[in-house]
Amino acid sequence: MHGQGTSLRTYVLTRLALAVPTVFVLLTLVFLLMRVAPGDPISAALGGHVSQQELAKRRHAAGYDKPILEQYATYMGDAVTGNLGTTLTDHRSIGSILSENGTATLELSVIAFIIALAVGIPVGVLAGRFRDTPIDVGGRLFGIVVYAAPVFFTGFLAQLLFGSALGWLPTSGRVGPITEFTLDKTTHIYLLDTVIAGDWSAFWDVVKHLILPAVTLGLLISGIIIRLVRVNLLQTMKGDYVEAARARGISERRVVMQHAFRNALVPVVTVAGLQFAILLGGAILTEETFNWPGIGGELVRYLNNRDYIAVQGIITVFAIAVVLISVVIDLVNAFIDPRVRYG
Amino acid sequence: MNRRVVGIATLAASAALVVAGCGSSGGSTSSGGGGGTIIRGTIDQPISYDPAGVYDLPSWDGIVNVYQTLLTIPPGGNKPEPDAAQSCDFTNPTTYKCTLKSGNVFSDGSALDSKDVKFSFDRNVKINDPQGAASLLADMKSISAPDKQTVVFNLKKPDATWPFLMTVQSFAIVPADGSNAYPADKLQPSADVVGSGHYTVAQYEPGQQTVFQRNTKYTGSDPAKNDTAIVQYFDKPSALKLAVEQGDVDVGYRSFSPTDLKDLRSSDGVSVVGGAGTEIRYLVFNQKLMAGDTDAQKLAIRQAVAQTIDRAAIAKNVYDGTVTPLYSMVPQGLQFATTAFKDTYGAGPNVAAAKKALADAGVKTPVDLELWYTPSHYGAGSADEYAEIQHQLEDSGLFNVTLKSTEWNQYDEAALTDKYPEFQFGWYPDYPDANDYTAYFFAKNSFLNDGYSNPQMDKLLAQEVATTNDTERAKIFDQIQKISAQDVPTIPIWQGGQVAAVRDGVTGVQDTFDSAYLFRLWVISKG
Repeated sequence: MHGQGTSLRTYVLTRLALAVPTVFVLLTLVFLLMRVAPGDPISAALGGHVSQQELAKRRHAAGYDKPILEQYATYMGDAVTGNLGTTLTDHRSIGSILSENGTATLELSVIAFIIALAVGIPVGVLAGRFRDTPIDVGGRLFGIVVYAAPVFFTGFLAQLLFGSALGWLPTSGRVGPITEFTLDKTTHIYLLDTVIAGDWSAFWDVVKHLILPAVTLGLLISGIIIRLVRVNLLQTMKGDYVEAARARGISERRVVMQHAFRNALVPVVTVAGLQFAILLGGAILTEETFNWPGIGGELVRYLNNRDYIAVQGIITVFAIAVVLISVVIDLVNAFIDPRVRYG
Repeated sequence: MNRRVVGIATLAASAALVVAGCGSSGGSTSSGGGGGTIIRGTIDQPISYDPAGVYDLPSWDGIVNVYQTLLTIPPGGNKPEPDAAQSCDFTNPTTYKCTLKSGNVFSDGSALDSKDVKFSFDRNVKINDPQGAASLLADMKSISAPDKQTVVFNLKKPDATWPFLMTVQSFAIVPADGSNAYPADKLQPSADVVGSGHYTVAQYEPGQQTVFQRNTKYTGSDPAKNDTAIVQYFDKPSALKLAVEQGDVDVGYRSFSPTDLKDLRSSDGVSVVGGAGTEIRYLVFNQKLMAGDTDAQKLAIRQAVAQTIDRAAIAKNVYDGTVTPLYSMVPQGLQFATTAFKDTYGAGPNVAAAKKALADAGVKTPVDLELWYTPSHYGAGSADEYAEIQHQLEDSGLFNVTLKSTEWNQYDEAALTDKYPEFQFGWYPDYPDANDYTAYFFAKNSFLNDGYSNPQMDKLLAQEVATTNDTERAKIFDQIQKISAQDVPTIPIWQGGQVAAVRDGVTGVQDTFDSAYLFRLWVISKG
């Protein structure tokens, strides 16, 4: 027991230590990419309206023409101290973007992830349990279609059907304009804020706005989960312990759910965890499609405005989030499966 | 997770969809606010509501609703009229004196006097924000406030555009003292702005919405016709269009593609209203790079292109009639605008005249042209517009056109630093005066860096800015526009009207469509 604890502690420390250079490389890459890309916020806003000389003067006044090493040193220094800066174009702190727009992405991602699990796991289990039957074919086909269909295409179709044609659901935004104004934003997670405020009309407004983007994004992720659950279930169904369970006369339903399914979940947890990390950054297309005011949409807006302080701040947070989540997943796996531990 | 849990989750999701289908109202306007709330949807996002930090249309659209300027372009007008000022006049060619109205107050109840005006201009120059418009005040030597109601500008040289500059939203008046005084050396946060205009900013969430509420202390003669105006931001025109169709917003402005407008015209409960606009698109020739062995040949090529382009076909085929052909860089609706290109070359294309001009100058045909455009910055129609121009020029048999494009981030710098021989550009007004559409383009060493120089033009430009006599200015601008049509440093292509999609029951939108190019929320009402 003592030996196992030491090994796990070493693994945890090693994994955390490896995260530091990973984040450093990511920060450097983000910085370099943003400086290599042409344009700057001033020419994006005023180009074509003032002379190149005037633009150069303004760039100088804003400090955009400082030596790149000086800018890099400032950036890394600020990043180390947790100061990701203020956007060049609209003077917002990166912190406020994270609290206002990051929470929108988090809310969408969590709900989409719940939908992905709610759809992906049962369909995957059914497909695995009834292998090579019409249920299996249907489940696999569904998984392939929802995964292969581009999110903007699925989203657009959903907008046309449930928004334009049927008029059931709003097609854009996180909440109606008036609710947006009147809502007391304690956590900036609107489902929670409306519950805290006890404003059920606003809660329902939030739910209505969430349905289309969350279902669209959730279905996309469910495609991966369906295939993953199915394949792993089929693998575990071949295990000796499953045969043994059957030999003991346990019902097929119990064999699948209590023996095969639980073991099939181990790799699913790993991939699902990583999917969630990717979801935080990968919700951009969904946010763009549904005008969802998440951090991905803001990233695109700042990219268009060449606001590299904003872009590098947001990407830095994304990068750190992905690294941290992958570390957490590795640690969870290490707890679950001793074979992945070092030493 | 067992089957029961999965089943419950699936049922819950299904139930949510069904109930949503039964209960959704779709429109936010029905969820509260009543007739006193107007919701405008737009893809234009402001960068700041501090006048000292802005030089862009979306920010000006917010500022015009919150602050007063000394002078303003009234709805439907095209000349400066008093706003916070009672009167403004030149007392000599380099001294401009304004007397303030008595009783002006900011929305926090503090008095607005000459000290605030002086502070606002001095602050603008001092901050000199990289995204601000302090450069427009280059002619201001100093500003003084001899008494509470008087402001005097001392100019470095005579400047007839000064009254128009007093209408620019970047020079709106901000409080100098009191609990809401603006800092003298940095920008005020947009959520904390205070002005003396029609509204206060009740909420500002970048990328999401700005909520304007009626300023109960507004002392002007035309108070807001609504209590609250919400400006909701969208990323894409398609999302804005859906929001208008669903009734989530009352007014959609800006911007829609011609296809979107066509769809909206046939949508239930939506009408498309239009009005005058002063945004223009034009073609620039870099005379250092363009085809032609001599200046005379280059001139002939430019004139031949001007004679071959069919503006009416562009307006109809590409923009479905939402823009109008432009025959001078000074758009119709502005004082002193003429139709110089139509007068010189005719309204439609004249290929025979173009052929003769080229032949007379000894230019071999077909002439190679390399036309550059940028695909999104000036709207989604740019690619079609330049395909249409290519088609027109090549069909004449006089030109061989290569179309090239790149995104704005590279485009503007490359175009203005001698990389493109012929290129697309656009313009919206800093101030609605003909000077803003001529001096910037035709002066020697203009920002276009196109190599155009005509001493006669430079002399006329100096004369028009030095006189405030309208009759004299009209004559001078007539000559300027004639010369521009003869020299063809640029070819005006089209003038955009302002177009909005409006839900039934909403009125007044067309009243804000004029040469000032500002969206005044206070003229809109509902119900």
